Amino acid sequence: MKSNFKTFLVWAFLIIILFTLFVFDIFLGSVKIPFREIFHILFTGKSEYSEYSAIVLYFRIPKALTALFAGFALSVSGLQMQTIFKNPLAGPYVLGISAGASLGVAILVLGVSSFTVINQFGVIGNWLIVIAAWIGSGLILFLILAISVRVKDIMTILILGIMFGSATTSIVSILQYFSSESMLKAFVIWTMGSLGGVSKSQLFVLIPSVSIGLIMAFLSVKMLNAMLVGENYAKSMGLNIKLSRFFVFFSTSLLAGSITAFCGPIGFIGIAVPHIARMIFKTANHKILLPGTMLIGGSVLLFSDMISQLPGKESSLPINSITALVGIPIVIWIIIRKQKFSTM
Amino acid sequence: MLNMETRKHILEIHNLEIGYHISKRIHNSLVSNINLTASEGELIAVIGKNGVGKSTLLRNIAGLQNSIQGDILLNKKNIIGYSRADFARLVSFVSTEIVNINNLRVFDLVALGRFPHTNWFGKLETKDLKSVSKALEMVGMKSFVNKNINEISDGERQRVMIARTLAQDTPVIVLDEPTAFLDLPNKYEIVHLLNNLSKTENKTIIFSTHDLNIAIQETDKIWLMLNDSIIEGAPEDLILNETFNQIFDNSKLSFDRVKGDFRMKRKYTEKIGLFGEGIYYTWTKKALERMNFTVEKGNDSIEHVVVEQNNEIVIWKLIDTNEILEFNSIYNLSNHLKNGRNP
Repeated sequence: MKSNFKTFLVWAFLIIILFTLFVFDIFLGSVKIPFREIFHILFTGKSEYSEYSAIVLYFRIPKALTALFAGFALSVSGLQMQTIFKNPLAGPYVLGISAGASLGVAILVLGVSSFTVINQFGVIGNWLIVIAAWIGSGLILFLILAISVRVKDIMTILILGIMFGSATTSIVSILQYFSSESMLKAFVIWTMGSLGGVSKSQLFVLIPSVSIGLIMAFLSVKMLNAMLVGENYAKSMGLNIKLSRFFVFFSTSLLAGSITAFCGPIGFIGIAVPHIARMIFKTANHKILLPGTMLIGGSVLLFSDMISQLPGKESSLPINSITALVGIPIVIWIIIRKQKFSTM
Repeated sequence: MLNMETRKHILEIHNLEIGYHISKRIHNSLVSNINLTASEGELIAVIGKNGVGKSTLLRNIAGLQNSIQGDILLNKKNIIGYSRADFARLVSFVSTEIVNINNLRVFDLVALGRFPHTNWFGKLETKDLKSVSKALEMVGMKSFVNKNINEISDGERQRVMIARTLAQDTPVIVLDEPTAFLDLPNKYEIVHLLNNLSKTENKTIIFSTHDLNIAIQETDKIWLMLNDSIIEGAPEDLILNETFNQIFDNSKLSFDRVKGDFRMKRKYTEKIGLFGEGIYYTWTKKALERMNFTVEKGNDSIEHVVVEQNNEIVIWKLIDTNEILEFNSIYNLSNHLKNGRNP
C-alpha cells in the first residue's frame, strides 16, 4: 500500500507540474499580461482589454497547446522506437520521418518558388509548408511500412530508415546549394523548429492527428511490452510481429510526422524523455512508461518553450536549440550516473 | 506380445524435413525424415552435436520457423492449422537469448506469459495474478518478485524464464539449451526442476542440451539427433544399444556404457601395476590412465604403484626392479612418471 501511495504522489506531482508549466507558458511572452487577466481569459474567454484576450486566445494558448502536444507526440514516438529497435539511442526520427519532411519543405521553399512569394499567400503559405512536410514524411512512412511487411529483420529496417534519411538529406543539400540566400534563410529557419507558428485553425488538424497517434500508442502497450523481450518470445506468446510493427510505425509516423509538419524537426525530446521516465518509474512496463513519458514530454517541451522566451523581446530563441540544450545535460547525466544507457 | 504405446501422444512429428529457407524455392535442408512422438508429462532431451539442427527442430515445434515438408501434429491437429493466439496457449518457448533488460521486474517478465490470456491492454485480472504468483512459487522464485531481471544470477533468470512459460499455461514447453550458461549445480537443479514440473503439472517439456549425463539421469526420453537420422528412446535404451557412440562419430570421444558418460579414447602404451584400496585406488587409476598407462590391478611383475594408507598419511610408492620411490601426492608421482624418468 505504501508503494501505491508513493506512485500516486509521483503521478499527482507530474500532472501538477504539467498544468503549472502550461499556465506559466501562457503567462510568459513579449507582452506582459497580469496573471489575473490570464485566468480571467482562460475561464471566461474575455478580458477588459481586447488586445490581451487576442494575444492569449490567438497566440499564447495555441502555442502552449502546440508545445504540450508536440511534447506528448515526440516523446511517445521516441519511446516506441526505442522499444521496437531495442536501441536506447533511437528517437522519433530514426525512420527518416524528419528527413522526409524537410525534403518536402525544401522542394517547396527552395525548388518551387521563393519563400517570399509563398509568404504573400499568408495563411495559405503556412499551410503549403505543412502539406509539403506531411507529403515528404508520408512518403518515407509509406516506404518504411512497405518494407516492414516484407523484411523480417528489424535491424535491416533500421539501416534502411537511416539510408532513406541520408539520401533525402543529401537531396536537400543539393537544393540548398542551388538556392538563393533569402530562400536558404527561410528553409534554415524552418529546420530550427517553431512552436509559435501554428495557428488556431491548424490546431484543429494538429490536435486530432496527434490524438489518434496517441490512442494508437496506448493500444500498442501490450505489443510493446511483448517486444521488449525480443521477437522470438513475442511471437511465441502469440504476437503478430509484422502487424504490430506496422501499427506502431503508423502511430509513430502520425505523431512525429504531424509535429514535424507543423513545427519543423524538434530534436532530443524524443530520445531523452523516455529515459527520464525510466529513471523516475524504474520500470520497463509500457503501461506505466507510456503515460509517464507523455506527461514528462509535455512538461519538458513547455519548459523549453518558456526558456526560449527568456530574451523577452519580440523574437524568441529557436526551440530546437533549447530542446538540445535541455536534453543533452539530461542524457549526459544519465550516462554518467548509470555508466550506460538503460536498455529497453 | 510387445506392449508398444500406452500414453496419449500430445505431439507427433511425421516425415518432417527441417532447415533454412534461403528464398521461397531454395531450402538448405538440415535433417529430413524426422519421425518423433511426445506424450503428456514427459521430459524429453534433444541431444546432438553442434550444427546438427537441434535449435531448428525446436523452433519448428515452437512455431517460430516453418518446416520444409512434413507435419507436426499437436493434439492430432497440424500446427499450421492453429491461429497464433490458440497456438500460444498450447506451446511456450524459452530461447537461448539472455533476456537482460534494465528496469524489468521479475514480476513483469513472468506476467508477460499471460499475454495470450489477457485483453488488448494486457490487463491482469485476479486469475492472471494468481497464475503469475503460482508460477514463481513452482520455480522457487517467489521472493524475487520485485527484483530487476538484471540484478539476478543466470540460474535465477533461467528459473524466471521457466516461470514465464508456466504463467503462459501451455501443455507443451520447449526450451533451447536452458542449461547452457549455468554452473554445474544450476544445470542439475534446472533439469531436475523441469523433470518435477513435467510430472506434477503433467506437462510435456522438450529441451535441447549438451549435458548428456544430466539428461540421462532426469529425462524420460531422448531424441538423439545424428547426421542423417533421429533416434528416440529412453536414455537407458540408447545406452544399451550403443547409439550414443554415434553422436560424435570419428571423434576422439567414446561413450562409457557403464559410467554413462563420454570419455576420451586413449592409446594405451605402457603397462603399470597398481595396488591400493577404495577411493585412493580409483583416483590413482584415473591419473595413470590419463598418462596413457594401461593399469593392471595387482600386477607386481612389472613396474607398479602401491598406495599405502597409514592413519591420515597417504604415500604413493613407485616400485620397479631397481628402486622404490615415495611420493606424497598423485601430482608428484605423475610428474616423476612424465619427466623424472627421462631427464
